[in-house]
Amino acid sequence: MTDNTIENDRILSSDVVSSVKEWSSDLSGDSGFSETVKTFNSSIKFKVLFILASVAIIIIATSYAVTVGALSIGFLEVYEIIFDHLTGNITSSFDYIVWNVRLPRVVAGIIGGAGLAVCGAIMQSVLKNPMADPYTTGVSSGAMFGATIGMTLGFAAALGDNSVVILAFIFSLVPTLVIAGMSKFANTTPTTVIMAGIGIMYIFNAFTTVLMLNADSSDLNRIFYWQTGSLSLINGWSSIPVMFVLVAAGLVISMFLSGKLNVLATGDDSAKALGINADRMRLICLVLVGLVSASIVSYTGLIGFVGLVCPHIVRMFIGADNRYLIPAVALFGGALMLIADVIGKVVISPSVLPVGVVMSFIGGPVFLWMVLRRSDKAW
Amino acid sequence: MSKLKIRTKVAELGKGVRLSNVASRKYRDSDTATASQRAVADYKAYRYAKTLMLIVVALLCLVALGVDIGLGPYHIDFLDVYRAIFDRLGDWGGTMTTDEKVVWDLRMPRVLTALFAGMGLAMAGAAMQSMMKNPLADPYTTGISSGAALGATLAMTMGIFLIPGTFGTVVNAFVFALIPAGFIIAMSVYRKPSPAMIILSGISLMYIFNAIQSYLMLVADPNAASSVYAWTIGSLNQASWDNLPFIFCVSLLGGIALMYMARVLNTMNSGDAYSKSIGINVNRARIIVLVTISVVAAGIVSFTGIIGFIGLVGPHIARMFVGSDNKILIPAAGLMGAGLMLLADCVVQTVAETMPIGIITSIIGGPVFMLLILRQKREVW
Repeated sequence: MTDNTIENDRILSSDVVSSVKEWSSDLSGDSGFSETVKTFNSSIKFKVLFILASVAIIIIATSYAVTVGALSIGFLEVYEIIFDHLTGNITSSFDYIVWNVRLPRVVAGIIGGAGLAVCGAIMQSVLKNPMADPYTTGVSSGAMFGATIGMTLGFAAALGDNSVVILAFIFSLVPTLVIAGMSKFANTTPTTVIMAGIGIMYIFNAFTTVLMLNADSSDLNRIFYWQTGSLSLINGWSSIPVMFVLVAAGLVISMFLSGKLNVLATGDDSAKALGINADRMRLICLVLVGLVSASIVSYTGLIGFVGLVCPHIVRMFIGADNRYLIPAVALFGGALMLIADVIGKVVISPSVLPVGVVMSFIGGPVFLWMVLRRSDKAW
Repeated sequence: MSKLKIRTKVAELGKGVRLSNVASRKYRDSDTATASQRAVADYKAYRYAKTLMLIVVALLCLVALGVDIGLGPYHIDFLDVYRAIFDRLGDWGGTMTTDEKVVWDLRMPRVLTALFAGMGLAMAGAAMQSMMKNPLADPYTTGISSGAALGATLAMTMGIFLIPGTFGTVVNAFVFALIPAGFIIAMSVYRKPSPAMIILSGISLMYIFNAIQSYLMLVADPNAASSVYAWTIGSLNQASWDNLPFIFCVSLLGGIALMYMARVLNTMNSGDAYSKSIGINVNRARIIVLVTISVVAAGIVSFTGIIGFIGLVGPHIARMFVGSDNKILIPAAGLMGAGLMLLADCVVQTVAETMPIGIITSIIGGPVFMLLILRQKREVW
């Protein structure tokens, strides 16, 4: 269709004619179109820069985190030791401390932060709710119940030292299973999922409370500690593999799903129109989030803040496009957790502040300031 | 088959109720009625039916009140409870019988506290959910509960009181619970308080309060930590005639204020731009509702501890029955909250005397709530 035929067409209104003109001229390389492309490209550049900056922060923070402790080790020495260990050429006497004592904690911090933050981003996007976090479906309450059983009812004999971890993991999957099972009978709209999560959460919490009220005070202190969440609960390298595999798998899958998540965020109807089964997509995401957050929470306890606030902070920087948001959030979450843990170790050393408390102390005011400062809304 | 029959019966009953409304019949039957007249008539019929339902639920609450007072080691019959109340009211200065003593001095404060706390929290929750347009919102969304918990923790573990005396902990909890609301008001001078921003700033305040509280709990001695923990679960053990007037006033006045704002909340549901175009100052309305909710929730929480569930789930259950019209929803949620609390207290009195009421509401209400979610056909959000 040439411009001429369009202009002579009597059926088309003037609006249609002008918009067809605008679009066809844009495609032929007009400045208006390339301007848009330029803006888009520059915004992508910024996003990539943000991601790279997070990587840099993680690398620097890792070595600093390893240097901090009763025995101080040089900043660059840390990398030397790690490199030596990886190449099988162990020379330094600090190898044991670096490799077996401090590094697992650092790695767990990065993995945990990344996993929880990604879960939070997915959850907020899928449920279209700024208050959603990885625990919205009740994962935390299930894990809490499992851990409380493990600590108060003495399952240690039956399940060994890992009883708390195992029980927390098993019970943290229950809410996800219930919601998945429910989806056979009811539709999984965001509201239904949220409300079901609330229901499950209250039931679990009630039973946990019953157990806690009957627990003696030393058990109670352990439960509180677990509830606050801390990387001190990490038990060497043995804690890492399960967490790592699930978080890595979750990260890869969510990267693949990120495009679809964007579509889902525009609403169920348009998602359906574009060939995405909204209900099934949501269910997949919920199961993914359930598994990943369960794997982290059962080792570290209920670390809050990172899953809820980290996606918000990153979204304020780079916007709500999940294709960039998810990797950025993963790296930023890992960095945040790591730094918070270091601060917790330094502030009142030799005793260690739980990482969740540190994050809230520092992150809370920062987040508040960011919320107040922003004039445009990412939501 | 029988289910279908019941459904038709219910539908017929509903039709009967609707037809009995003279105003609606006038328009329903006339061919000349315009669409808007029909809509108004429909709405009136809807409100008539729902109001009838509310009255029935209110009567049920009254019955539950009597039953609840009667329960306990010294059992009193349901009718005797009311007789005792009326006798006492009729003969204020006279000597009290045993029934009157038990009813009036021992049980009334607790049961009335349950009633008004449930009512206030559920109404506040309904208003909050409507205002935020968010099913996750509850009266504590802006950080009221963490503020109250921090205030109480300061009092219990560090011995820091704003006002010394018997009400030290209560005053601490109340004042700290109002900090978030004060903060949002102060903020609204610089920024428009949009729902997302209120939620997000509430979340960040909550985290700050929680972090301080967790730290205090971790360094506190285990006994103090246990008592703080017991406080945060929420219970009716502190109920007394001295505490009651305050809870009564905040939940009743707050409830009336929220019902008065229901119309505005309904309008705000259709978006800020629309509300502005018909002359509602959205930002001011939001602040007013927020302050009302905060005072109600803070007033209740500071006496009872953080009773969860009611403020979040009470409104949801009410919404499933009456829909999202705030004029009906807010009173319905209030009655639902009161009823749930009374029911839970009945269970506490009969089977689980040492349990805090917060646990029982969750244990009973949680499964009921799940069942309702599974059964609901239409979306009410």
